[in-house]
Order: sequence, then C-alpha cells, then structure tokens
Amino acid sequence: MSDHQVPSLEDTETTLGSLGPRVFAVSALVGVIGLAATIGLGLGEGDGFRHFGFSYLTNFAFFLSISLGALFFMPIMYVTRASWNVVMRRLAEVTAAVMPLMAVLAIPVIIFAGQIYGWADPEVAASHGMSHKAAYLSQNMFILRWVIYFAIWTGYSWFFWKTSVKQDSTRDVALTRRLENYSGFALMVCALSLAAASFDLLMSIDPLWFSTMFGVYYWAGGFVTFFAVMTLFTLGLQNSGRMRGIVSPEHFHDYGKAMFAFTFFWGYIAFSQYMLYWYANIPEETHWFLVRSQNGWGEVGLILIFATFALPFAGLISRYAKRSRKMLAFWAFWIIIAQWINLYWVVMPQFSESFIISPMDVTAFFGIGGLWLAGITKLAMGNSLVPSGDPRLEDSLRFENA
Amino acid sequence: MSTNAKQGALYGLLTEFESPSLLMEAVEKVRDEGFKKWDVHTPFPVHGMDDAMGIRGTNLPFLVLGGGLTGLGLATLMQWWMNAVDYKFVISGKPLFGLPAAFPVMFELTVLFSAFAAFFGMWILNGLPKWYHPLFTNKRFRRATQDRFYIVVEAADPRFKLEETRSFLASLGGNVVEEVNESPED
Repeated sequence: MSDHQVPSLEDTETTLGSLGPRVFAVSALVGVIGLAATIGLGLGEGDGFRHFGFSYLTNFAFFLSISLGALFFMPIMYVTRASWNVVMRRLAEVTAAVMPLMAVLAIPVIIFAGQIYGWADPEVAASHGMSHKAAYLSQNMFILRWVIYFAIWTGYSWFFWKTSVKQDSTRDVALTRRLENYSGFALMVCALSLAAASFDLLMSIDPLWFSTMFGVYYWAGGFVTFFAVMTLFTLGLQNSGRMRGIVSPEHFHDYGKAMFAFTFFWGYIAFSQYMLYWYANIPEETHWFLVRSQNGWGEVGLILIFATFALPFAGLISRYAKRSRKMLAFWAFWIIIAQWINLYWVVMPQFSESFIISPMDVTAFFGIGGLWLAGITKLAMGNSLVPSGDPRLEDSLRFENA
Repeated sequence: MSTNAKQGALYGLLTEFESPSLLMEAVEKVRDEGFKKWDVHTPFPVHGMDDAMGIRGTNLPFLVLGGGLTGLGLATLMQWWMNAVDYKFVISGKPLFGLPAAFPVMFELTVLFSAFAAFFGMWILNGLPKWYHPLFTNKRFRRATQDRFYIVVEAADPRFKLEETRSFLASLGGNVVEEVNESPED
C-alpha cells in the first residue's frame, strides 16, 4: 500500500481468452453427462420419474437461486450508486444473464410437475384446504406463471448486462444514469416475481402449507450463495492469471462482509419462520416442520443450524478471515454446500418421510451446475471481464475499506 | 480552562503540509523513526494512511465480542431463571424454558451489549470523554478542517527530545514547526 499507484486494467489480463473455450467445453461435457446419468438413474428407479423430479428440482432451485442473487445484486449496486463492486460486476452480470438457459432447464420441472407437486394430485386438490387455491395452483396457471417469471428475469438481466457491455466501448455516462433510473422499479418487480416463484417452485410441493416468509427465505439463501460463488469465480480467475492486481484484498473483504451479513440474514429469516409456527402451534402450519424434524430429517435440520448459520458466522466474523484468500475460499465452498443441504431439506422430505439420499442428487448437481457454468462462460467470452467503460471503475480500483 | 495548573506546559510539536502526497512521505519517515505517541490530522480521510502510520489493529473487536457473549449469557440465564425457576407458569403448553421463545431476547441482548461495548470501549480506548484538546490552543491548527495537513508528535513520546525532534520535523519538508502548549498562554 506504500506505493500510491492506482492499478490499471492494462497491467493484467481482463478477458477469458483461451481459458473460455476450455472451461466451456469441460463444464458443458460434465453437464451433459451429469444430466444423462440423472435421467438413467431416474429411469432405473421405476417410479415414473418421481424421485428424478425431486432431485432435479433441488438442484434447479439451487442454481436458479444463485442467478437470482446476481439479478438482485446489480440493481442494488445501481440504486445505491456503489462503486466498490464495479471491477467485479461483469461476473455478476453474466451469472444473471444465463436466465434463458435456466428457462430451458425449467422445462423438466414443468413436465414432471404432476409427479412433484401436491396440487397435481386429484385427491389433495379435492381436499378442503385446497378449495381457495385450486384455481391458482393448476397446471396451466403454473406454466403461465413460469413464462412470466422468466420473461421478467431474462428481460432485466439482459438489459443490465447488454447496457453494461455497450458502455465498454461508448464510455457513455448516460447509460449508467439509465440503469440507475430503472433499478428501483427492477428491484420491486424482481422481488415480487421471486417471492411468487419461490411459492411455485418449492412451497407448493406441499400445497396445504404456507409461509409468508418463504420468498425471503429462498432469496436469502440464494443471495449468500451468490456472494460465495462470486468470491470463487474471482479467486479462480486470479489464479489463472486474470484480473490480478485490480481486484485487491479490499474487494474480497467486502465479499467476505456480504457473506457474513447474509449468513446471519438467512439464519434470522429461517429462525423467524420456524419460531412463529412453533409458538402458534397450529397443526396446518406445523406439519411442514413436523415432517422435517422426524425420521432422520431432524438431524439434517440440526446440522443446518450449525452448517449454514453458526459455523460460517463464527468463521467469518474476524477481519483477518475476510481478507485471507484461503479462509475466504474455504467458507465460500462451505456456504455453497450448506445452502445446497438447506434446499435438499426443503424439497426432499416431501418425497420421502424418512431420510434419503441418492446418487441422482449428485449427478443432477453436476448436470445442471455444469450447463449453468457453461452458459455463464459462454456469455463471458468475447467481452472484457471488467466493465471497462463504467464511470465508477476508477473509484472501484482505488477502493479501500476505511 | 485557562486556570489549568499545567499552563504553558509543552504538549508536543506540530508541522504543517500543503498536500496529502507531501504528508504521506513525511508520515512514513515519522513512523520509521520509531515514534509511538503521534498523530496525523487531515481535512478528509486519506487512503492508505493507517499503513503509512503503521497503526496496528485495535483491540475493540475483542471488547465487542466479550460484550456480545456477556449479553447472550445474561439473556439466557435471565430467561431461564425467570421462567423455569422463579415464576413457573405454563404458557400455551410450551416447555417452561423453550429455546425458540428465548432466542429473540438472546439476540437482542447480544446486539445491545455488543453495541455498548463498541460505543463505550471506543471512548475508553480514545481517552474520552475529554472536554478539551491541547491542539485547540494552536491558531494554525484550525486549518486542519479546511486545507492543511498536520503531523503532531507528543512530548510524552519516549523518543521525544525537544531540539532533536524539532529539527527532525523541520527536515520533513513541512511549512513550519510549532510548539503546542497544553493550554493557551493568554
């Protein structure tokens, strides 16, 4: 720090270059093999793809939540006119802009909705608790809503990404102003659509259960995972010789702070959801937690308290941990795995009342994750990895935590 | 203030700079000279100053951690004693001491005691409350909030020797070196 030079983009590699096609090929291959293996294993179950549907849904919801986290990150940075993140923002832009691929990957969830969702079961649909929900929770409405969600998310993510890429060459400040003007409304629309989507995607597996907090619960998990993924992307690029010098411990420190803060936020939301139902003790509300506290799922829930909340909270509390590349990478990996377990615990007890884990869960993880990463890599190729025309870039390069 | 017994006693030496870059170079020299009781005053935050001054991390986080743990423990004990020992009363079939019900208060007291520790710990570490600072006696120093940058070495520093330190500070390239008294002379 004793040299008071501002790091320059010219001192480092800021494109994916030869790394792009390699990462794309490997992750696409892993994705295709993973999905093929999942389908094969699902066929082998002989249950009409029911188990396959739940494994697929868990992993689809997981990677979608990360891209949705990225989709929220950009407008938040614009409405607050923040500059610290600018040097890493392109990575968030492409992580969100992979949305059309996620729309394609949503098709199996829609095809197998009849196997996954309780409301598709005529017996459940005829029950008393469903009488007011039947019109909303129906096959056609479900498909229509997913078309709307992905139209909104694709529209906004491509708007933010494309505008930012355009700025690389034009350096036009008006483009930043434009994004700032749209960001407030974008946040509202995305928040509402994400909450509704979380109800459709995860909560309506058990259509009789309801939680007004569920949207925030899903979002909080996705947002903390997004910061963990950004940390690993940036560290990985630096290890390959890219973005060196321009992304400093100061920037990683902020990602560490975000991971720390949203680890706690997730814990706060998850506990609030639990405590209200525990205290009121009304059967139609508590049965969701009852299933998840018995037959092995209760142990998973206990693990969650420590794995997703207490341990990363303690591990990331110190400034030293947030500025150490190794510790940050460790906790980023940890958070990703822990949040995956969280979604597994949300989805799977609806498939089996006693604890179950199958190779399909892992193959589906690599299947969807591989294609997701291949999509992100494809979008990142060809353009700079840094929004080089952003008027706040220099501020970002000079950034220091006070 | 003017009736202070130490009237006229030397607080330290002050030197003035006109730009952050001149200041930074001088600051590093003062740090390398081994002074401990000294400070830098600028009209705005100067990035990299902590490193240039060689300021080590503060102990405040440990005070805050201690405060937080105290709050957490106190809240747990308090609720356990009130609900499960002192005044046993079954409410809507819950256990006398149910952890989920106790968590909100545990959380709030953790935050409250952490905040107390951070706020009052900061006072103690900074030597506050202090109604008056010797630097206010110096008329030149008023520009510290406008457009000048100052290094002040305290007379209480073990390495401080009036004439040697004065010539050392003069060699840093500042505008002037002035003595600062504990209280105003007039």
